[in-house]
Amino acid sequence: MVVAERRVSRLSAFGIAALCVALVVIPFVTSTTGLRQASQIIVSVLAVLGVNVATGYGGMISLGHGVFVGVGAFATGYYVSDLSLPWLVAILLGAATAGVSGALVGLPALRIKGIHLALVTLGLAIVFRPLSKRFPSITGGVSGRSIDARFDAPGWWPGDGRMASSVYRYLFCVLIVLVALWATWNVVNSRFGRSMRALRDNDTAAAVYGVDLVAARVTTFAISAGLAGLCGALQVVLVPFVSQDKFTAQESLVIYASAVVGGLGTIWGSVLGVLARTVVGKVGAVAAGFDGLGPVGEFFSLLDEPAFVFGFGLILLTFLFPRGLAGIRRKGGSSQ
Amino acid sequence: MDYVLLLQRIFDALFNSAIYSSLALALVIIFRATGLLNFAQGEMATFTAYIAFVLLSGPQPRLTGGGLAGIIPGVPFSIPLAITGAVICGMAAGAATERALIRPLGGASDLALVNITIGLLLATNSLMAQWWGTGPRFFPSIFPTGAGQHFMIFGARLRYSTVGVWAILLSVLVLLVLLLRHTRAGLAFRAVSISPSSAELVGVRVGPTLMYGWALASGFGALAACLSANSVLLEPSMMLRVLVYAFAAATLGGLDSPKGALVGGLIIGLSQTLIPAYVPFIGFELSVLPALLAMVVILLIRPAGLYGTKRIERV
Repeated sequence: MVVAERRVSRLSAFGIAALCVALVVIPFVTSTTGLRQASQIIVSVLAVLGVNVATGYGGMISLGHGVFVGVGAFATGYYVSDLSLPWLVAILLGAATAGVSGALVGLPALRIKGIHLALVTLGLAIVFRPLSKRFPSITGGVSGRSIDARFDAPGWWPGDGRMASSVYRYLFCVLIVLVALWATWNVVNSRFGRSMRALRDNDTAAAVYGVDLVAARVTTFAISAGLAGLCGALQVVLVPFVSQDKFTAQESLVIYASAVVGGLGTIWGSVLGVLARTVVGKVGAVAAGFDGLGPVGEFFSLLDEPAFVFGFGLILLTFLFPRGLAGIRRKGGSSQ
Repeated sequence: MDYVLLLQRIFDALFNSAIYSSLALALVIIFRATGLLNFAQGEMATFTAYIAFVLLSGPQPRLTGGGLAGIIPGVPFSIPLAITGAVICGMAAGAATERALIRPLGGASDLALVNITIGLLLATNSLMAQWWGTGPRFFPSIFPTGAGQHFMIFGARLRYSTVGVWAILLSVLVLLVLLLRHTRAGLAFRAVSISPSSAELVGVRVGPTLMYGWALASGFGALAACLSANSVLLEPSMMLRVLVYAFAAATLGGLDSPKGALVGGLIIGLSQTLIPAYVPFIGFELSVLPALLAMVVILLIRPAGLYGTKRIERV
């Protein structure tokens, strides 16, 4: 049934191979802390992918995906500690909860479009923190709460101690992210994916051709929020602590910016966006470490700030490569 | 019901109303002319408030990072002079933004315009955090704010600062109306707002006119930031919440109606103070929620707002 082009170019084959090698090598060369950070970076692909589904494929600009990451994290924490559910169930339920909240946001998106939707979702991102403080039993209020349950390696896992558990958590996250990438790739290339893109390009024409606008918009937003929620759930797996101060409006905007910088409308774009964020941050952190660079050093320490890099990157890429990093090789004249 | 308390709350709300109105005006001016919502309006305004802060206090060593603080001469400006300087800097920055970032895109898609303004928001925000730190700073008020500085009206206190901020807003508005009605540039701006292509055909230079529009809008934003920095404390994200109120005000009034921005700011400002006072769940911190809900409801039911023009979509 899939009509989309499935051929993989030589460059992307090389890229995939390099990424796979990196994923295998990482656990052997870092400490538990480094492994946790690597896992967090890998997990953040999901949130960016969520924005990509809503904005890149569905054409609905969402500036508030940090909210769904937050809902996923809070919900997972609640399920696993207060309801004592098993981790796997709690993670799936957490993502589903975020998906449902996304569907609720998707409902007004039936009438609110384009720049107005961007406005509403930005408002949502700003409201989320004060709102979550109102439910301290779930969110831990101002200071956050630590989750009682630990996501530890089961008995059959070879080796024990902290490193073995870290590797287990790392592999678990990698597996989930890969499955999510694969599933999303299949969804966007399915019949439903085509109706998503038809909606993005011209919703009136899509409706005329028999696309159910309501169902398609709500489902798209639910899937997209569910991916972000899964990111939040895995964050709880990695660090059993949830707090509202991680889900700032700036964080939501950085997620959005990563999606755009990486490239909207391609699955690889989301991976590239997160990779770019990581590489630039690392370069900045290393360069800022040198003393005596004066104003240059100050510039490098700005590179350490994802908000600055991606704010600047958004502007630059909108002019140079409207399709994002993933689209540099394609001739990208239009900004769609 | 305690009517004196109600009157007191209304008086208190009027200060914020003026701030929201002027930031909403900034948003409306740009939306009218270019059909773009400037998400970076708040951060650009905050930046000018920092400029006023530097003008007032000079390059203090406690400003983290050398950066801009060292470049601007540390003349101990008086407050009105510093605010004027900040507004002028803001206008220049607004004009530069239009010229450098918006005009070259030449009417690109919504997505590209959102990306530019969001990029500007993020970059400006982190730049401010880098140069001046994220800690809140005290910003002096241009009006007397001491204990006895108020009028007594029916037992409620109307602060001098509230009266002052409205006096400034209204006089700037009168200036704006005069500018739009009685100057050639104002006429050109009105023509461009209605129809850029027709205006171009009759010889109006659309680009520079839009640049004036951006300068005017950013001036209003700068004014809003400098006047409110005393009550919300100066910090890099101080206008983010205010931006939601201003957007709600602009949406309520109609995104392309300056009159609507004024009325919308008034209504949103009042509800922001009155709703938390009478609905315990909302409280002060969550007062953004009613504004957001109002915005969603208006966009759903009546996207044109109170005074805006209805949009007819062409298929």
